[in-house]
Amino acid sequence: MNCEACQLKELEVEHFEISEVLRCILHTIVFLRALGLVQPKDVDLELFEITYVQCGVVEVEKKIDEKIEHFISWVEKHPNKKSQICLSFYEVKSKQPSWFTNKTERLYWEQWYVNLNVTQRPKPYSGKSHHTKMVVDPGESASEERSSRRAMLEASLGEVLSQIIKFVNEKKDHVPPISEGVIYFPYEITIPSSPDSAFGMDMIKRMLQTGHPTMLS
Amino acid sequence: MEMDRESGKSEQIVSQFRSKILHVILDSRVPSFHHHHQQQESFSLSRVRKTDKWFNLVLGHRPAALENLNFSLRNLLDPVIIDIILVQHGSSSSSVDNICTPSAAAAGFTETVIERWVVQYDCPRVVATPSGADTSGLYKKTYRKSIILLRSVYAQMRLLPAYRIFRQLSSLSQTYNFDLVYKVSSFCHPFTREEEHVMKEYSFVPVEALSGLLCVSVTYRTSLSDFNLEPLVSLPPKIITDYVGSPTTDPMRSFPSSEKGVRATSFPLIGVRPPSSAPLQRPHSWSSGFHRGFPFAQNQSLAGSPPAYSTSPMTYDVASPPSDMYGNRIQNPRLSTLQQVTARDEYQLSPPFSPSPSPSPPTYLSGANPLLSHHRSETAPVTIPRPITGRSSRYLSPNSSDTSRHSLPPLSPRSSKHYASSQESPSGIRSYRKIEALRAGESPSGLSNHYSVHKVVRDSKDDSGRFSGLLSSSGSPRIGFSRSSSRLSFQDDMDDCEFSCPFDVDDVDVSDSLNQTRLHSFS
Repeated sequence: MNCEACQLKELEVEHFEISEVLRCILHTIVFLRALGLVQPKDVDLELFEITYVQCGVVEVEKKIDEKIEHFISWVEKHPNKKSQICLSFYEVKSKQPSWFTNKTERLYWEQWYVNLNVTQRPKPYSGKSHHTKMVVDPGESASEERSSRRAMLEASLGEVLSQIIKFVNEKKDHVPPISEGVIYFPYEITIPSSPDSAFGMDMIKRMLQTGHPTMLS
Repeated sequence: MEMDRESGKSEQIVSQFRSKILHVILDSRVPSFHHHHQQQESFSLSRVRKTDKWFNLVLGHRPAALENLNFSLRNLLDPVIIDIILVQHGSSSSSVDNICTPSAAAAGFTETVIERWVVQYDCPRVVATPSGADTSGLYKKTYRKSIILLRSVYAQMRLLPAYRIFRQLSSLSQTYNFDLVYKVSSFCHPFTREEEHVMKEYSFVPVEALSGLLCVSVTYRTSLSDFNLEPLVSLPPKIITDYVGSPTTDPMRSFPSSEKGVRATSFPLIGVRPPSSAPLQRPHSWSSGFHRGFPFAQNQSLAGSPPAYSTSPMTYDVASPPSDMYGNRIQNPRLSTLQQVTARDEYQLSPPFSPSPSPSPPTYLSGANPLLSHHRSETAPVTIPRPITGRSSRYLSPNSSDTSRHSLPPLSPRSSKHYASSQESPSGIRSYRKIEALRAGESPSGLSNHYSVHKVVRDSKDDSGRFSGLLSSSGSPRIGFSRSSSRLSFQDDMDDCEFSCPFDVDDVDVSDSLNQTRLHSFS
């Protein structure tokens, strides 16, 4: 079975926006792939005028929140860095046990790469210009800049959600059948771990396991 | 044998999909549907209705309007076209885009189709007969992909511009100068060039079924910023001290005429308008209470009926003769070829309970019950009353007991000739009533007519079960329903076709108490 992969558009976020942005994206993906019986739950973002959908399963919510917390901790230790969170869906297959391998293996059939560029909030304008005697009000320009940046991020986040829906629509053949009583496919969320090299090795390892993933632009 | 089984399951999936997507769309765009949904109990798998389990998407209680719609749209080959219409009081700032019918303009309302959803089962004429091995289990794939498609539609609906104003309207803390109503039909007018210019189309990837493709697309306005959508400011009550009969008032004093004097506006009332000069013209559409085919206008001039307006942004020929609507249906040359429906097809589309002598689609009134028109004492109109809240209660007169009065439809003398089968929402009437109420104090007589009439209507029916009374006047095929099993019997027919209940993709019977075996994710 092919493993389909989707690289989501990179988002430039500030530290305090990480939680909302990630929650929105991850829950949307899980909802679209939770093919078992669910009652969808609409959630409004606080920072943006966007409503996303959760599958309404408490376990999913807890797991996603936990991963987001870990990611935020990592970001605090590695500020101003681009990072990638990977949400992977897999099937559990049993295989012949051996000395070096486990009895079961994970066959990844879909991977989502959430790309974030976490920036620090720029310092407010100091006020006096060297060339003029005019005193510029720092608050107004910073506020306008913030609003502009927020609007851009909101638009970008909307584009990412549309990108997710488009991908889900276009790629359906690789989705495995879902069994009775199962609400969502098994999935894992991989966040960067320090050192960075370890994260990179994890990604390479997963790519080797899944064969030749199809990369979407 | 195997092919028949596959075909039956495939058709059932398509049929249920159309029903479900209708629910998804209306639940996300029409505040009255949404309120119904919010009032349901918390999610419990054991209490999920069988019909709600289809496509593994629990949406909650389906209003009766939806049930009637589903029945009316049972021809799988006809497209389901759902128009989401923005009804706005006053002129819009974007006069180019909003085409107002004369009556609507006279009433001060503009209406614009801001979204059009089209659900179509595209069956090619020549279908290659697949071998048994190819088709075996095809319905499972169809079902699984339909689940994904439905999820996508559900999520996408929250990203479109109309969702924002739907949420505004759903908020009970504020009232606005606009409303969202819907219209469901099996064909529609194409958009004008001006409208197409400001709209965008999004097509979901079709899902393959045994005999064709299940297609969903939406054409939507990319921006609603052109509309002056703002909250309404309610007039504060004004106390008149020198009213007639007041002990302090000079008995010889002459009071100014109503045009010049101050009106008491203790409670803004529903606008009362003179009866429409146009004769009653029952439209060829499924208009659930949305100013269509008001049943009482035949016998009385109901002063309180709001003006008729068309839901279509197209300009109509005001002078179109009513006989066009009762006689042979005139094909609108502007309709796209694929969407034209012949008169015969129209009869096939119409539910069996047509109240008019001609076998044309029924007129639905409040609560989207098709049986309410003309035979109110015998039918089961189902109103979808909005709960009386702070938002709407201020517009109620002291004599009003409920909000269902808002759903009485005004006359619609022209739009009916264009729509063979469509149903519209009652909320449009409610919005107009609400807006009208702010203008001035109205004569209570017309209003009380409303209330008494409404009350009769409301009391006569509480559910959609009693269809039997209307059948006698219809030339269409008759289907009898019993009171207790009107909806259930039909649903059971669908569900009991080949399967006892909505099935999982692996075609395993889904019991009411699902065995919740979840595979836990590993971190």
